[in-house]
Amino acid sequence: MMYMNIEIGNEDVSLLQMSDSFFPTGLYATSSGLEALSKIKKLTKKDIFYYISTYIKQVVGPTDCTALGNAYESCMKKDLSTLLNVDESLYSMRLIEETRSASTRSGNQLLKCVSIFVKHKKMLRDYQNAIGNGNATGIYPVSFGVVSWSLGIPKNKAGLILLYGFTVSVVGAALRLGIIQHFDGQKIIHELRPVILKSVLDNIDRPISSMWQFAPGLDILQMKHEAMSSKMFIT
Amino acid sequence: MAPLRIPRVGIGGPVGSGKTMLIEQIVPILSANGYKVSIISNDVISKEDAERMRQNLATDKGLLPEELVIGVATGGCPHTAVREDPSINLSVVEELELKYDFLDLILIESGGDNITTTFSPALADYFIYIIDVTGGDKYPRKRGLGIENCDLLVINKIDIAPYVGADLKIMERDAKIVRRSKPTVFVNSKTGQGVDAVVSFIITDVLFDTLPKASKNIN
Repeated sequence: MMYMNIEIGNEDVSLLQMSDSFFPTGLYATSSGLEALSKIKKLTKKDIFYYISTYIKQVVGPTDCTALGNAYESCMKKDLSTLLNVDESLYSMRLIEETRSASTRSGNQLLKCVSIFVKHKKMLRDYQNAIGNGNATGIYPVSFGVVSWSLGIPKNKAGLILLYGFTVSVVGAALRLGIIQHFDGQKIIHELRPVILKSVLDNIDRPISSMWQFAPGLDILQMKHEAMSSKMFIT
Repeated sequence: MAPLRIPRVGIGGPVGSGKTMLIEQIVPILSANGYKVSIISNDVISKEDAERMRQNLATDKGLLPEELVIGVATGGCPHTAVREDPSINLSVVEELELKYDFLDLILIESGGDNITTTFSPALADYFIYIIDVTGGDKYPRKRGLGIENCDLLVINKIDIAPYVGADLKIMERDAKIVRRSKPTVFVNSKTGQGVDAVVSFIITDVLFDTLPKASKNIN
């Protein structure tokens, strides 16, 4: 007798797999500039909350989440040309070389890993070929959009995973920098739920022409991080 | 056409065991044999090790271009960067393979870690694990994945064994029991004593005694 449950499916397991920090993309080695800030001032739990919140509202939401949504839509429409345009647009908005490099490396490794177990998805293959030919960069949010589409993860949930993953990477960095302890970290993630949700809803369907970011203070921090001679994280 | 895969040797071991100094001894010997090498140094806290090697091997001795000594910060997770999630290191390796196809070998130095360190076979073809006598002669028999599973175990700082009460004969005996037929080499990486044997293993077991690429181009 075959048991059918329409409430959960393979794509839900894929969603869990892609949102798991165990998935190998190297993001554990990023602090998104937090390390540089921690050298300048003594940080509190509240500072970490506001740091991540600002980053999501002013940068990751309106750029990365927008790019992901557009990449996803391009895959649905089998439109490689638009996908490559999204890739180029997002790459050009990554102002700091260290962050550009980290994002493209993670994106490329993500594609390589997923293509081992996802076959027969032409857009995934075509995107990888474009990267190999130098016509795309593989920048992480775009790669994540392509991969999410390939795995049948709904677009808005892919956006959630992206922003949740960013949140966890910075909380993890704060933990390892000794700024917070492990219960604090979980509380911060919990309290960021409405910020994450709103950012996904505001940005996942934003057109690529409206992609924006404005966080000059964070950009300066990333530049300071680049110049640090002693650092634990790659960003 | 996909770039040629360049052989990789992973070097792991506890903090202060002498990984960097071993590399600084290995590279000149490989270079003297005509082999072109790149070094990726995973540093937990700083890029100091990479910069020291760059200064020593590239700037001072001119054995390799400075851009071939690469420091990679690993976010406080040295074992993750070489085992569970080697994607950062793999990215750097792939970039080297694309840009510098003349390389014969890539050395990947992990950040200092504990005796459970191992390298992912996706990252390193050959794994050297280094311990030193100051940890005591108990270490080989204490086992641990690094000591048991590495392709080559290197026991360093043999010159100070008498001063720290470490019996090298006990370490040799226990290494044989724990590792069975897998080799162990005793070195003093400060003076270079024993390092020739390490290089021989690399040339035979990793490079399969092939000639350096540069010499093939001449011929």
